[in-house]
Amino acid sequence: MSEEHHITPLKTYLVVATALFFLTAVTVWASYIDLGSFNIVLALLIAGTKAGVVATFFMHLLWDDKKNATIFVGSLMFLSIFIIITLTDTEFRGAVNPEIKDPINKRAALYSTLPLTDDHGYPLDKENNHHEGDKDHH
Amino acid sequence: MSHDKSSPDFLYHHFYDVNQQYETSKLGMWAFILTEVLTFGGLFVAYTIYRAWNPEMFFNANLLLDVNKGLINTIVLIASSLTMALAIWAIQLNKRKLSLLMLFLTFVCALGFLGIKYLEYEHKFHLGQLPGEYYSYMGPEVVQEIHDQEKINHYIETNNIFFDKETNRLYTMNNPHIFFGIYFIMTGLHGLHVAIGMGLIAWLMVLTARGKLHARYYTHMEAVGIFWHLVDLIWIFLFPLFYLIG
Repeated sequence: MSEEHHITPLKTYLVVATALFFLTAVTVWASYIDLGSFNIVLALLIAGTKAGVVATFFMHLLWDDKKNATIFVGSLMFLSIFIIITLTDTEFRGAVNPEIKDPINKRAALYSTLPLTDDHGYPLDKENNHHEGDKDHH
Repeated sequence: MSHDKSSPDFLYHHFYDVNQQYETSKLGMWAFILTEVLTFGGLFVAYTIYRAWNPEMFFNANLLLDVNKGLINTIVLIASSLTMALAIWAIQLNKRKLSLLMLFLTFVCALGFLGIKYLEYEHKFHLGQLPGEYYSYMGPEVVQEIHDQEKINHYIETNNIFFDKETNRLYTMNNPHIFFGIYFIMTGLHGLHVAIGMGLIAWLMVLTARGKLHARYYTHMEAVGIFWHLVDLIWIFLFPLFYLIG
C-alpha cells in the first residue's frame, strides 16, 4: 500500500476559489431580478453548484476512496427524504380537511384583537411594559 | 506493539499501516459530517415548512437583514476555506511555515466572520428583532429600503405590512418572530461551529509549530479541513436562504 496521497495542484485551488467568488456575485445579482418563484430555484441551484465544488475539490472527495463520497451523498439522500416526506404532510393538509389548513400561518388572532400599537407604531401603554403571563410580548 | 522498529512513531499499534490509519480517520470524519448534515437538515426542514407557509412574511422579514454584511461574511468564509485548503497543500509539500501562515489566515477570517456576525446580532438585539415572544420590533426602519410605490401597495393589499402615509412608516408583519426564530437558531448553530472550528485551527497551529504534523502525517489537518469546509458549505446555503429572498 502506498503512503502517498494525492496532492492537489495549487492552480486547482485558486480556480475553485475564483469560481466560488464568481458564483457568489452571480447569486447576489440574480436575487435583484424578479423571476417569481424561479428566484428560489436559481438561488438553490447556484448554492448547490458551490456546495458541489467545495465538496469535490476542497474536501478532496474527487481523489478520495469513494466510500467517503458515498457517505456524504447518502446523508444528502436521507435529508431529501426528510424534506419530501415532511412536505407531503405540511403542504397538503388542507386537501383532506380544509379546516386545518394554514393552522398558524395566517395573521395570528392576537395581532388583530389587541390594540398593540398606536397609529405610529409605538406601544400604546408604556407604563405596562412588563409581560407577566403575557406570552405575546408586544 | 505489533509493528517492527522501522514503523513510524505516529502509527498507532492497532492499525495495520499508515495508509489504513489515515483512511480510517477520514472515514470517521465523514461519518461525523453525515450527522452534521442531518443536524442542520432538521433546521433546513423547519425553514422549508415555515417559508412555504409564510412566503410573504419571509420576504418582508428578509428585508430587515443586512445583505452587505451577509455578502462580506460569505466572501470571508470562502477565503478562509481557500486558506484552509492551502494549509493542507503546504503541509503535504512539507512547507511548514507556509502551512502555519495559512492556518493563521484561516483563523483571522473566522474571527472576522464572528465579528461581523456579532455586529449583526447586536443590531437585532437592540431593535428587538428576536425570536418568539421576545420579538418587539415595530418596523419603522423598513420603509427606508422600500421606495417603490407599487411594492408598498402590494404589501398593503396582501395585509402583510401596514404603511402609514403620514409618518411614512411601515410596521407590523405577519408573525415575523418565526423568521427570526429560525434565523437565530440556524446562524447561531453555524456560528457555534465557526467558534469550535477556530479552536481546532488554533490546535492545528500548535501541532504544526511543534513539528508534529508533516508531509507524511497530517491527518489532524485533513480532518479539521473537512469540518471547516462543511462550515463553509452550510453558510453557502444559509446566505441565499436568509439574505437573498426575492
